[in-house]
Amino acid sequence: MQTPNRLKPFYENLAFERDDNTMIVNFGPQHPSAHGQLRLILELDGEQVVKATPDVGYLHRGMEKMAENMIYNEFLPTTDRMDYIAATSNNYGYALAVERLLGIEDKVPRRAKVIRTMLLELNRIISHLFWLATHALDVGAMSIFLYCFREREFAMDLMEEYCGARLTHSAVRIGGVPLDLAPGWIEKLRAFITKLPNDIADYEGLLDQNRIWKMRLEHVGVISAEKAIDWGCSGPTLRGSGVAWDIRKEEPYELYDELEFKVPVSDTNDSYGRYKLYMQEMRESIKIIEQLIPMYSKTEPKLMADVPEYISAPKESLMTDNFALMQHFVLVTQGMRPPVGEVYVATESPKGELGFYINSQGEPYPHRIKLRAPSFWHTSVLQEMLVGTYIADVVTIIGNLNIVFGEIDR
Amino acid sequence: MAQHKVNYMADSGLPVALTTVDKLVQWGRSNSLWALTYGLACCAIEMMASGASRYDFDRFGTIFRASPRQADVMVVAGTLTKKHAQFIRRLYDQMTEPKWVISMGSCANTGGMFNTYATVQGVDRIIPVDIYLPGCAPRPETLQYAVMMLQKKIRKQSAFQKAKTKRLV
Amino acid sequence: MRAYQDRKNAQAKVYYKDRFYVSPQLPKEEVDSDEVFAKDLATISKKAEVKEAYIQRGQLVIILENRHDIVAVAKLLKEKLTYTQLSEMSANDFLADRGEFEVFYQFLSMEKRKRLRVKYSIKEDQAVDSLYDIYKSADWAEREMYDMFGIVANEHPNLKRILMPDDWSGHPLRKSYPLQGDEDAQWYEIDTIFGKDYREVVGPEIRDTKRIDPKDTENFARIGKEVPRGANPKDFDENYDDFQEEGGVPLITRFTKKNQKTLTDRK
Repeated sequence: MQTPNRLKPFYENLAFERDDNTMIVNFGPQHPSAHGQLRLILELDGEQVVKATPDVGYLHRGMEKMAENMIYNEFLPTTDRMDYIAATSNNYGYALAVERLLGIEDKVPRRAKVIRTMLLELNRIISHLFWLATHALDVGAMSIFLYCFREREFAMDLMEEYCGARLTHSAVRIGGVPLDLAPGWIEKLRAFITKLPNDIADYEGLLDQNRIWKMRLEHVGVISAEKAIDWGCSGPTLRGSGVAWDIRKEEPYELYDELEFKVPVSDTNDSYGRYKLYMQEMRESIKIIEQLIPMYSKTEPKLMADVPEYISAPKESLMTDNFALMQHFVLVTQGMRPPVGEVYVATESPKGELGFYINSQGEPYPHRIKLRAPSFWHTSVLQEMLVGTYIADVVTIIGNLNIVFGEIDR
Repeated sequence: MAQHKVNYMADSGLPVALTTVDKLVQWGRSNSLWALTYGLACCAIEMMASGASRYDFDRFGTIFRASPRQADVMVVAGTLTKKHAQFIRRLYDQMTEPKWVISMGSCANTGGMFNTYATVQGVDRIIPVDIYLPGCAPRPETLQYAVMMLQKKIRKQSAFQKAKTKRLV
Repeated sequence: MRAYQDRKNAQAKVYYKDRFYVSPQLPKEEVDSDEVFAKDLATISKKAEVKEAYIQRGQLVIILENRHDIVAVAKLLKEKLTYTQLSEMSANDFLADRGEFEVFYQFLSMEKRKRLRVKYSIKEDQAVDSLYDIYKSADWAEREMYDMFGIVANEHPNLKRILMPDDWSGHPLRKSYPLQGDEDAQWYEIDTIFGKDYREVVGPEIRDTKRIDPKDTENFARIGKEVPRGANPKDFDENYDDFQEEGGVPLITRFTKKNQKTLTDRK
């Protein structure tokens, strides 16, 4: 029996068993399968979940408030830490939102667009490989974790050669990209995507018709299309319920309207369908990158938009031209002053619809930035999805929904 | 990082003359450090990557265990927020002696880039830390270097020290 | 004299101000330029009083006169006008400028491929009506709005704090809340875990990023040659920077900086 004192207080504040024979289990903020810091308070009747209450906020770092105290360019590395598995998709969403606010979307040079789209699809592959690795680890297939991380390391080597960081990229700037591709990067990318379909086929061969995998994933985590839309789901979670909504196709940005790719949709509404979706999406990303590679050489070497009011000049003219240096100085110390107004831009991150709402009052610091993270809504849908499932399925469902806590709590 | 005055050398039990029994016991402890998975944010991904295929952690004798009772070293990877602070203290108290703490990444060392209302400015305000590992996120090789430094430190300590009051408790 | 702190707006302010620069406004287009939006606006204005409506960057923005109309408008949007998803909702804090909050809702119609924003203003002590019965995604969004701004949603099933701890005081995203937190916030973790008496033991947080201690003579990086804190580097031999001690460790492979290999190609 614990005797509470000042330094060892008694923290148990949840009843263990109640009168109506339901047991309350705390799936605590620190748990190996919780994918971060999810606290689920489950009320169990035997092994079935009667009520589930997710408790989030254990990784709330105050990013939206930070944004009100920094200039627009300064906030870009902070967006990296939202969905830290595919960091460039956050950076790009933010950069696109600011570009639309400033009205310079069509001034982004073509080479920058090609590089950005390549990085976005590479990040999609990285994120889906990570999803498969952790989901399989939770369900019990531990060797898939090691295989997927091996492939992911090759992709992260590519990102590291481009921007210097494996995890928190900041590879995109407002108005373009900071760096051109290194010589030989495209060949390495080509080698990577030539090898990857064989590996995906390996994983599918191991898991697709695997009796245990099918038993654990089929008819688990069922959500109908209307409920999914109502709860704010997007991305593969929504497409797994039969709704064919992909922002890359419906509201195309960057070069997606020139590229040919299919958007897989599954109508089985369960986790197995979503698993098949993720594998198919990886293949589509490979197809997209294959179409982008020949586009690169046809572009002229311009990387940042030419808008002196908001964006600094490229480094060559900064070092030689005095006015460029003066303008760059002002933009870096004071910050650029965008027009007064608000904008909401949604892009298709690997997890779903990632939206940025920016309200600017003409100051160099944004008045309000609201980060719309898909995982926030996918976690709230757990309140509905987990009722009636067994406790072993809880882990499968959490893993299958692809939630990452940097986004939820910001 | 914390501001309170600490005598780091005395708290770690250094320097001290080691007997053979000391050396043997500490050799055993340092080469089978079982780590508690305390991945909180982005550094957790690098911790997982360092335990995965390319940067294997098994060659150090380190297995990631989920239960604090079975773990020797707690690798705090990621941002500690004020909402979570009491749980990390609880888990640290539940670990059995001897225990060490590696603070991985800028957020765990000093609060990192998040100089805000909801972030604990350094995990050493709550628990005592042995090795600080800078980076954002530190590479997997850096984490493994930190584990090797911790192994060196352990081998220099004496094996049978009573639980030193490592500040705050 | 102590520096003047603006309590109404505690956020960082730009140091240099260009007194003569007037920021341009984002262009607001007429609603009639887009037929889909024009029809939607016509249906909505029959139900609720619309103060202003315009198209900005491709999305229709509707500003309502009365905050209680939002439930009727949301029902109309969902049932008749196919805006089936509430992508996002939150508030903007204009208390320092105008004395009101501006609440916005972002709707999405997948059939028409259109996005719509509905806004209205409320005063500090007024509450909004919850959209939980119409759009379930308002559940957590309204909880977050309550947590961050203190705006209460009427008839919400579970209006509790979501991102901050349950016993947190203050509403963080208001402009009057400083970025680094007020006194309750700064000592929160010490108070909960150890108690208020331990504040002096642990000491205040170090929030100054540019702090330099002139008496600090030992905090150098010494990368590769780390020694324990407080030790004199001269006490450690010159091969200390190797991964393992000089003489190696029994039964463990000796790994030095000299015999490490870097792979250039991988298989």
